[in-house]
Amino acid sequence: MATMSCFLPPEILDLIIDQLHDEPATLKSCCVVSKPWIPRTRRHLFARVEFDALEHLIESWMKIFPDPSNSPAHHTRSLSIRSFPAVTTADADVAIWVRTFRNVVDVHFGDLIWTGQHDPLTPFYGFSHTVRSLRLTSTTFGVFNLICSFPLLEDLALVSLRPEIDTDGGRAPLTSPKLTGSLELSVVRGIRSAVRRLLDFPDGLRFSKVEVCCHRVGFEPVADLVSKCSGSLESLNIYSLAMGTPVPSTSPIDQYLTAAHRHRDVQHVPP
Amino acid sequence: MFPLDLSKATKLKDLTFLCSSSNVRWVTTALQTVESKHFHHIAIHPYAAVFRSPPEETVHSTWQDLDQLLVRFWTSHSIRIRLVYWPDGGGTRDHASSLLPELIRRGLIDLVEHNPAPGTRIRMW
Repeated sequence: MATMSCFLPPEILDLIIDQLHDEPATLKSCCVVSKPWIPRTRRHLFARVEFDALEHLIESWMKIFPDPSNSPAHHTRSLSIRSFPAVTTADADVAIWVRTFRNVVDVHFGDLIWTGQHDPLTPFYGFSHTVRSLRLTSTTFGVFNLICSFPLLEDLALVSLRPEIDTDGGRAPLTSPKLTGSLELSVVRGIRSAVRRLLDFPDGLRFSKVEVCCHRVGFEPVADLVSKCSGSLESLNIYSLAMGTPVPSTSPIDQYLTAAHRHRDVQHVPP
Repeated sequence: MFPLDLSKATKLKDLTFLCSSSNVRWVTTALQTVESKHFHHIAIHPYAAVFRSPPEETVHSTWQDLDQLLVRFWTSHSIRIRLVYWPDGGGTRDHASSLLPELIRRGLIDLVEHNPAPGTRIRMW
C-alpha cells in the first residue's frame, strides 16, 4: 500500500504557523509535529519570555537548552525578569546565558531582591544591542549606567526606584542612548537625584513623550526635566500628587499611588 | 511651586494634568507659557482633595483663572478640552462641572468620567 505524504513549501508552512502566533497551546502542539516545524513555532513561542525568581530558572533553562548556540533565546523580543536575587550561578555561565537573548527589544526588570553583596543587574549591562524599550520597577538606584549600555534605547520607564541602594556610586556614563521615545518617571522617593542623573546623560534627552508622577516636593526637578526635553516634546502628562492622596482602585497610575502609600512613612522627607 | 516653562516646547501637541491639590495655579501658570502652534488637546484630572471640601476663596479663584484661560485658549487655538473626574477619588459630575463653569456653560469642554474600559491592562509597577 502506497504511503500518502504531503509536503508543503516551507514558506506556506511559515504562513500557516504565523497565523497561530497568539495561540500558545496550538503552537506547542505544532512544535512536536516534525523537525521542520520547530524553528517557526519557536519564533512565536519564545517571543515573550518572563522569569520569576531568576536563579532557579536559569538553571532549568540551562538544563533544557545546554547549547547556547541552539537556544531559542534568540527568538525572544520581550524579556521580563522579576523577583530576582543576585545570581550565584557561576558568573561565566550567567554571562553566556544572558547574551543568548541577543535580539531582545523590550526589557522589564522588576522587584529585585537585594542581598547587599552583588548588584543583580550587573550581568545585564549591554546584553542586547537591539533593546529599544527598558522598564525598571523597584530596582536599585544604580540603573543609570545600565540604561546607557543600550545604545538604541528609545523608551524608558523608571518606577519606584530605591534611592537607599545606589550601586552606581555616582559614576557618570560616558555615552548615552538616543532616548527619542517616551519617558515614564514615577519615583516616590529620590526624584531629585533621578532627574539629575538623567540630566547628566552626556548625549542629552530627546523624549517626545514625558509622563511624570511626583509629589509636589519633586516639582522643581520635573520643571528642569521638561525644559531639557522641550525641543522634542510632543506630549506631557504630569500627575502632581498631594501628600496623603487616597488610592483609587483602577487607574493608569494606581500602582504608583499604591507605591506612594507603601512608602508613606518616609515620603515627607524631601528627596 | 516651581513653574513649568513650556515656551520652548514648540512641538507640543497635548497636555494632561492630574491635580490632587485643589489649588491649580501651577496649571494656569504652565498653560500661560504654551506657544506651540501644534497644540490641540488638554486634559485636566481634578483628583481627590479637590472634592473633599468646599473650595476656599483663594482656591476657588485659581479654578476661575483656569476657567477663563481655557476659554481664551479654546478661542485662540481651537483646542479640545477634557475634564476627567474620578469617582474613585470622590469626584462627581456636578462637582467637576462647578470647577470650570464658563467652559461648561459655553459647551466648550468634554466632561468625562474616568472609567477604564473592561480588560484595560493595569501596568505592573
